[in-house]
Parts: sequence; C-alpha cells; structure tokens
Amino acid sequence: MKKKESVKTTTKTTYQIPIGPIHPALKEPVMFEFEIDGERIVDVDVSLGHVHRGIEWAGMQRNPVQILYLAERICGICSYSHPIAFARAVENACDIEVPERAEYLRVIHGELERICSHILWAGVAAHEIGFDTVLFLTWEMREKALDLTEYLTGNRVTKAIIMIGGVRRDITSDMVPKVQETLKYFKDNFEKLRHIFLDDKTVRLRSQGCGVLTYDDALKLCAIGPTTRASGVKKDVRVDQAYAAYGDLDIDYMTPDVLTGEVNGDVYDRIIVRLLEVKQSIDLIEQCLDKMPSGDILSEPKIPKLLARVKKTAGEGIGRHEAPRGEVIHYVKFDGENDNPYTWKARAPTYNNILPWIPMLKGEQIADIPIVAASTDPCISCTNRVTIVDNDKNSRYILNREELHRMSIEKTRRLTR
Amino acid sequence: MSKKKMSPEEIVKYFKDEFKAKVKDSRVEKRVAGVKKKEFVNIWLKIDKSVFKDVIKHLCDIQFPHLAVVSGNDLGSTIELIYHFSLYYGERLNEVSLNISVELPKSNPVIETICDYIPGALTTEREKQEMLGVKIRGIPDSRRLFLPDDFPEGVYPWRKDETGPKDMVRNLHEVKK
Amino acid sequence: MRFTMIPRVFMQMFKKPWTNKFPAKYQPSNTTKYLAEVSEGKAKINPPIETPPGFRGKIQYDREKCIGCQLCIKVCPSGAIEFKPDEKKIKIYVARCTFCSQCNDVCPVNCLSMSDEFLLADADLYSKDLIVE
Repeated sequence: MKKKESVKTTTKTTYQIPIGPIHPALKEPVMFEFEIDGERIVDVDVSLGHVHRGIEWAGMQRNPVQILYLAERICGICSYSHPIAFARAVENACDIEVPERAEYLRVIHGELERICSHILWAGVAAHEIGFDTVLFLTWEMREKALDLTEYLTGNRVTKAIIMIGGVRRDITSDMVPKVQETLKYFKDNFEKLRHIFLDDKTVRLRSQGCGVLTYDDALKLCAIGPTTRASGVKKDVRVDQAYAAYGDLDIDYMTPDVLTGEVNGDVYDRIIVRLLEVKQSIDLIEQCLDKMPSGDILSEPKIPKLLARVKKTAGEGIGRHEAPRGEVIHYVKFDGENDNPYTWKARAPTYNNILPWIPMLKGEQIADIPIVAASTDPCISCTNRVTIVDNDKNSRYILNREELHRMSIEKTRRLTR
Repeated sequence: MSKKKMSPEEIVKYFKDEFKAKVKDSRVEKRVAGVKKKEFVNIWLKIDKSVFKDVIKHLCDIQFPHLAVVSGNDLGSTIELIYHFSLYYGERLNEVSLNISVELPKSNPVIETICDYIPGALTTEREKQEMLGVKIRGIPDSRRLFLPDDFPEGVYPWRKDETGPKDMVRNLHEVKK
Repeated sequence: MRFTMIPRVFMQMFKKPWTNKFPAKYQPSNTTKYLAEVSEGKAKINPPIETPPGFRGKIQYDREKCIGCQLCIKVCPSGAIEFKPDEKKIKIYVARCTFCSQCNDVCPVNCLSMSDEFLLADADLYSKDLIVE
C-alpha cells in the first residue's frame, strides 16, 4: 500500500454529525475524528462539550454550604475530590483554620476513595482488553472498600462528609476495628491483584509499547496525575504541597522505576503506577490511624455563624487536591456583600489530560483506541462516537462503542493464538 | 533551567526588578497545615497587560511552570483573567503556587496566546474565548470547545452584564411543584 | 504461555457466588404476578444486605419539636423543603431530596433525622409516600 508523504497534504473536512449531546446509544459523549491510512491512525481531533451542565453558573446562585453538595455531583467517582478542593478554596479565601484531627480524617477518606477508584479503573481496563474475568474479580474486591465507606459516611458513593472548616463525622474508637479489618483484607489480596495484572502474558502483549507519552510531551502539555507520573514527570500535589495532613506523613512520588527500574511511558507503566498507588494508599491510611491527634472535627459547628463570616469576607482563594485522576483546582471569589460567591471556577483533572491523547494515539491501530484512551482514566468516558475517514476508499463510516470494543477483543484473541 | 530555589519574596522581587511599575500589586500568603505545621505558599501578582508575554517568558526562565487553569472574572468595566501556575514541583514540599492576574478593558478584550511557550494552554484558552468573549491573538485553534455550535454568537455565559445568558436559563424545579 | 488466571477460574467453579440475589434468584417471567404472590405469602423475597448504623435514608420529621426557624430551607442544596407560613411548619419533597442530611445538622431542636429506608422508587413523584410533613 502506498504511504502518503506527509500529513499536511491530506485534507480533513470536519463534518458535524448531529448526534448528541442526548442520544440513547451514548453514555458520556466525547467525539473523536480520526484520519486513518489502512489501520494506522495518522491524525486525531477531539471535540467535547456534550455534557456541559452549567454547574458553575448554578453554583453562583447558592451559598457555600449548598455548593459543597453540588460540587460532589460533578463526578461520581471523584465525588470526594471536588468538595474538598472547594472547601480548601473557601478556607483560603476566608482564612478559616481546620483542626488537626479533621485534617487527618480528610486524608483517610481521600485515600479510601483513591483505592476504590483505582480498583474500578483496573477492572475497566481489563474489560477494554476483553479480559472480563478480571473485571468481576477486581470489582468484588472493591465491594469491601465500598462497604467501609458506607459504614463511615452513610452512603457508598456520595459521601457528604466535608464541611467548610472540617469534617462532619468522626471515626470513633469503636469504628477503628472495622477499618483495620478492611485494610488487612486489602493487604492480603494486593499480591493477588498485582500478580494478575503485571505477570499475565495477555495484559503485557496488549499494553507494552502501546500508547507512549514521552517525558517532554507530558511536561509541555501540562499533563497531570498517574498519566504524567508514568512518563517520569514527578508531579503530585500531595507530595509537593503541605496540605491536610500530608505534610506529616511519609509519602513519595510513584513512578514506574520504583518497581521495574525503567520508564517507558506506555500503557503498561500506567497500570504499574496505579497499582503502586493502591499500596501507597493502604500504607497512608495506616499511618493516619496511628498518628491521629484528638480534638474537635469542625472549627465552626454552627452553620449560621459560618455563613455570616463568609458574607463579610471579600477575597479570593484557590484550593488544590490530588484526586485519583490528577490535580483538581477550584478558584472562588467573594465580594463581601452576599454569601454567594462572585465567581467559582472548578477544573476537573481530565481537562488537562485531553491534549496528551493526540501524541499517544498517532501511529496506533484502531483496535488499540479503547485501551489507550482508557489508560488515562478519563472521567468522560472515551470513544463512544468515532468517525473514521478512510482516505483510500473515500468513504466515511461511524464506529460506535460496541463495535470498537469488539475489535479490541478480537485483537487480543489474535495475539494469544 | 533553574539555578537555585528562590524564596517567595525573592520571586516577587525577581519580577519587580524586571518590570518595575508594570507589576501593580503583589501578595504573599503563607498558611500552615497538619500537626507539624509545615507551610505552603501562594503568591498573587497583578500585572499590566502590555508586558504579559514578557512576564510569561521570564517565568519560563525560572523553571518550566505547570499551568493549572485560567479563571476569569467579570468586574464591571473590565475582565480579569487569572493564570494559575505552580513552580518547583518535583521535590518534597517545595512547590509554590503563583497566580498572575491581568485586566483587560471590555472595549478591547484582546490578549496574546501563550501556546508557543506552553502548548498545554490550548484547552483553557479556547474555553476563555467562548465563555468570556476574550480574543486571544495567535491561538492555533480557535474553535468552540464546550458550547455547542448553534449557541448564539455574542452571548457569553460567564459575564454578568447584558451579554450574559439570563433568558436562556429555564428553572425546571419551578415548573411544577 | 503463562496464563495466571486459569487456576483461579477453575477454583471459582466450586465456590459460592458472591452476589446477593435480591429480590429473587432469577428474573420472574411475570413481575406483577410475582409481586401479587409475595403479598399473599406464597413466594419469598431475598432480603437486601443490612444497612449500617448512620445510613442516610429517607428523612423523618418530628412536627411537634419544629419551631419554624427556616434554617433547613437555607442550607438545602436542592430546594426540597418548603415553608408553610400559616402553620410555621415545613413540607419536604423526598423526590428532590439529595439525602445529604445537612438539614439534620443545622436544625437547632433536632427534629429531623434519617431513617434506613432506601427502597423509595415510585412512578408518581408527588405521591403520598414521597412527601413528608
């Protein structure tokens, strides 16, 4: 087959197909447009915005206590990260101090959420390869973490445990045995999880050498989270900045050379980074339980006084947190007259991780699209609407999510024969 | 790259020495956290828009910064853009958050792009163009990002004046109770 | 070829399944007939897993203690609480409630609490079960 000389001589007609944002076949819509040559991807274009809900505008009509619950529903899986970043932003703007015991409790809940999220991702990544048995096995392990979350906060997913100035519920001494029992379960089963993912030949065949993001690209495109740590860039808000109780704990950057000694930046490295982070989270929760000081959990228990204090302040503040997918940052500005914020900007971690998709996908095959896009753990689910422009046959056809998934599974079968 | 790590006051002085009167305001905030009371630092700088590109170049000389996001404020007759950077990541407890804010008059809301220094700024610059009506000169890709293509031109959702989306909002919960 | 999952899959054939089969082991062919049989006592429903203490289910309201201060209305994120000015009591629409229990925390006389009821699905959003007053 004749290869085209350069990408720039090909023409791309961006054709808007009116499907979405609301369509029965879509889950979380992102539209890609690929330019392909045979089976190889030559160029990629991403278009977003199909789930734009106007949350920031809705937040500006509410007071800070109500915005905490609105922020929780920005995303289901990072439903702890957004309220805590917002609470930190308000505490930064209004100069509210958080008691020490509350800071340790915040760390415990944050790390518990990280364990749930990374195990969920491990199952989803296995499903994209076609390895459904591992999906069910890992999600069974995740049920234990969700049971613990329900015991500590009252609900499995929307925890509602953060309040401006502290946390709402305490971990009393009769709750500690249950926490330790769950941690012991995870420590015993972590080796099982690691053995399945990192030693299995199927997973290695599909993921090594695939979807590479180099160190320079990750740095220049401002990528965040495990995506960038797998390429060797050391960026982690918990280690870089002293917030909550992370300044007291023993924590370090998790890059793939901790386990294997070399950094490649491919999908296999991202699996390594996430599994190492699960182990790190278990260790951090144990450290917190040992070192937790006593004291109160809220600096201002009476809500009307808190709202009155917010109403009088005129200032701005930012709050950052390391969510399972990367750095979350919220910016809030108060004008000193009402308690609704004048401006609220919430930035989810996947926002920065969209541009790295382009260098990662160039040169790959179509059947690799699900696993490469899922390896960055997007909070908007990837590739359920893909338009293929076939240069040779001059035709356009649409592959939806089910067909892409099927192609990905068939590639696994071909490789393992 | 970086010579030695500068303290927050030295960073502010570094910008003030180079740009003198164009740095209009600066603020260094230090807060502590945890039992051991380790501190973290936020620096806020307010600069004039005429030296914006040089300030960014000056910043890249310290260390390649991490651009978190650009947030925007509508202050009546001006639009304020705040660029949230962070420096000195990569070593334990060394990071400094640097927030640079620029004010643009509403009659001429034009600013240069920083995509030639920091390619990762493309997503956030596209968002500012459609949400606030700011024109970014030299941006490689100026299509809409989050708003649909049939959203009316000239309506900017983050503005609080007459170009805001007031009549485009439907309060569903007041429809039937 | 080393496939580490094969011994584990083999062992799974001899283990009990992890799923709790709520409400029945297999989907009944006629759901309304099955529900009628349950109410007569002929068929059984597997119970759901027990909820822990502190679970945030449907809200419960003690009318006598309420003083009509309207603080709960101020902090409700979804506007699910309505004030009745003539009686100085409140009316809660469970269909809009987000189960955050912020109103419980803010009430000065502790007249609101969360039960452990979570099977609340209904076709009519404003039916009797879903309005608490």
